[in-house]
Amino acid sequence: MLSMKIDLEHLSRLANLELTEDEKRLLPGQMEKIIDWVGKLSSLKTGEEEKYSPVDFSLRLEADQVGQSLAQSEVMAMAPEKEGDFLKVPKVLTGK
Amino acid sequence: MSIVGLGLAEAVGLVKKGQLKAEEIVGAHIRQIELEDQKIKAFLTCSFDRALARAREIDEKREKGKLAGAVIAIKDNIITKGIRTTCGSRILDNFIPPYSATVVEKLEAEDAIVIGKTNLDEFAMGSSTENSAFFATRNPWDLERVPGGSSGGSAAAVAALEAMAALGSDTGGSVRQPAAFCGVVGLKPTYGRVSRYGLVAFASSLDQIGPLTRSVEDCALVTSVIAGFDPRDSTSAELPVPDYSFGLNNNSRAEIKVGVLTESSLRGVDPEVAESYRRVQGLISSLGLELKAMSFPSWEVALPCYYIIAPSEASSNLARYDGVRYGFRAEAEELSQMYVKTRTLGFGSEVKRRILLGTFALSSGYYGAYYAKAARARQVISRELNSAFEQVDFVLTPTAPGPAFKLGEIQDPITMYLQDYFTVAANLAGIPGISIPCGLAASGLPLGLQVLARPFAENDLFKFAFLLEKNLNFKNNRYGINTRGRRKNEN
Repeated sequence: MLSMKIDLEHLSRLANLELTEDEKRLLPGQMEKIIDWVGKLSSLKTGEEEKYSPVDFSLRLEADQVGQSLAQSEVMAMAPEKEGDFLKVPKVLTGK
Repeated sequence: MSIVGLGLAEAVGLVKKGQLKAEEIVGAHIRQIELEDQKIKAFLTCSFDRALARAREIDEKREKGKLAGAVIAIKDNIITKGIRTTCGSRILDNFIPPYSATVVEKLEAEDAIVIGKTNLDEFAMGSSTENSAFFATRNPWDLERVPGGSSGGSAAAVAALEAMAALGSDTGGSVRQPAAFCGVVGLKPTYGRVSRYGLVAFASSLDQIGPLTRSVEDCALVTSVIAGFDPRDSTSAELPVPDYSFGLNNNSRAEIKVGVLTESSLRGVDPEVAESYRRVQGLISSLGLELKAMSFPSWEVALPCYYIIAPSEASSNLARYDGVRYGFRAEAEELSQMYVKTRTLGFGSEVKRRILLGTFALSSGYYGAYYAKAARARQVISRELNSAFEQVDFVLTPTAPGPAFKLGEIQDPITMYLQDYFTVAANLAGIPGISIPCGLAASGLPLGLQVLARPFAENDLFKFAFLLEKNLNFKNNRYGINTRGRRKNEN
């Protein structure tokens, strides 16, 4: 793995983030250093087998039954903005 | 000894015998927090009224639970019904959960009392608790120093006698390293041993909840209560839970084989840490236990492997914070702007750094070289560690490469990441590990010893840690401060 220029603008767009001026100044150097550092991994001889979880047992499926869940009012109480029984968000299309 | 100086098991015993009231215990801890926490700042939110009300209920009960009257602090990434849960982040500044995590329910079902929520690095990302969006927590042994992290508030609260035990979470060392820095005991259980339902997800294939206490016995008792199968966590293991606190003294010593790191594996470690590690080896030999020198070459790349996997999982897990259903929302005219502004203002720099890193490792063109490569490396690291347990029962390492460092001392992210050098392999492999205090550095700061064991061998792990604790005799100075709030100077 070679050191590379990271396209921070592209990455932050993918991650739905904007960077502050300080972050724009500091992050590129830090990220490149970190990515070079994690690149040390390429020196490790590995097989093809991949491990994504420490558990070998297969994940269980929930029984297809209606169970108790939170009351709608409790869930809606957390909403930053609502109208009646609906979550309210800004306009999806502003027409601009 | 004053009430706050009591061990958890000891206090529960007194409550059950009717010799001490839960209300008195809670009252004593409230006073201790009021006295100490202005300096230490372990708590983000206190739940004193709720705790006192619970205590009175428990005092009225005829049949009392296994943890009756035990005052417990909860890391603020574990949700608590009706008590604000922030994850140390602006984005959850105002979040009041409508339900409690399974571990909290289990503690309360056994009459433990939640006294408050402890500080952490934002979303558990850090090793010093300096990344909290609210304030930094101080180490009770030296207020100029960090308590470690990310469960720094939990470790500091227990060390400062503000709680008898605390829960933390450990993704790469976040229970064990702060336990070492604060001179307390901290366990990362086997992956699947303790339910994570209600633990705010950081890196789901690595996260585990574990207790921090002032003794191995207390740690075993709390683990017995929080462990076990939970249908609401699909990774939780369907295995019975032994009473870990029973028979801690029954070690069949002659048969125990202990793996220790070769001298060359200790390069780069603080000389005092290496020295105390050698002292422990001497002690183990003197107990008649067999030592075997081992090295783990793959550990050289365990942290790089972790810093691909954990940020990748985090970038996915943290995508849920968008300002729509709960938490902080930034004002914006248009929906997509609202997402971006909410996340930009809501997350701190370390969280953004890791989200971007994970986004990079998972992005088209880099996935194979980074994320898939890390998954293959994880297999190698897990195999190497697990195969050690074909030869030995336990592997011993220092918990952290050095004692607690000063606030602001480590600015470089990679230098901070190296704090987890000895702890991270256990998370990648899913095995249990415990940190116990093993002595003091010349500076008076505590040092930690890590013991690793086979998956689901917590019972053996506690017995061995109990044996070491007894012989290391750290009990005499385990309280960083005494009950009047002054530091002890012994040893």
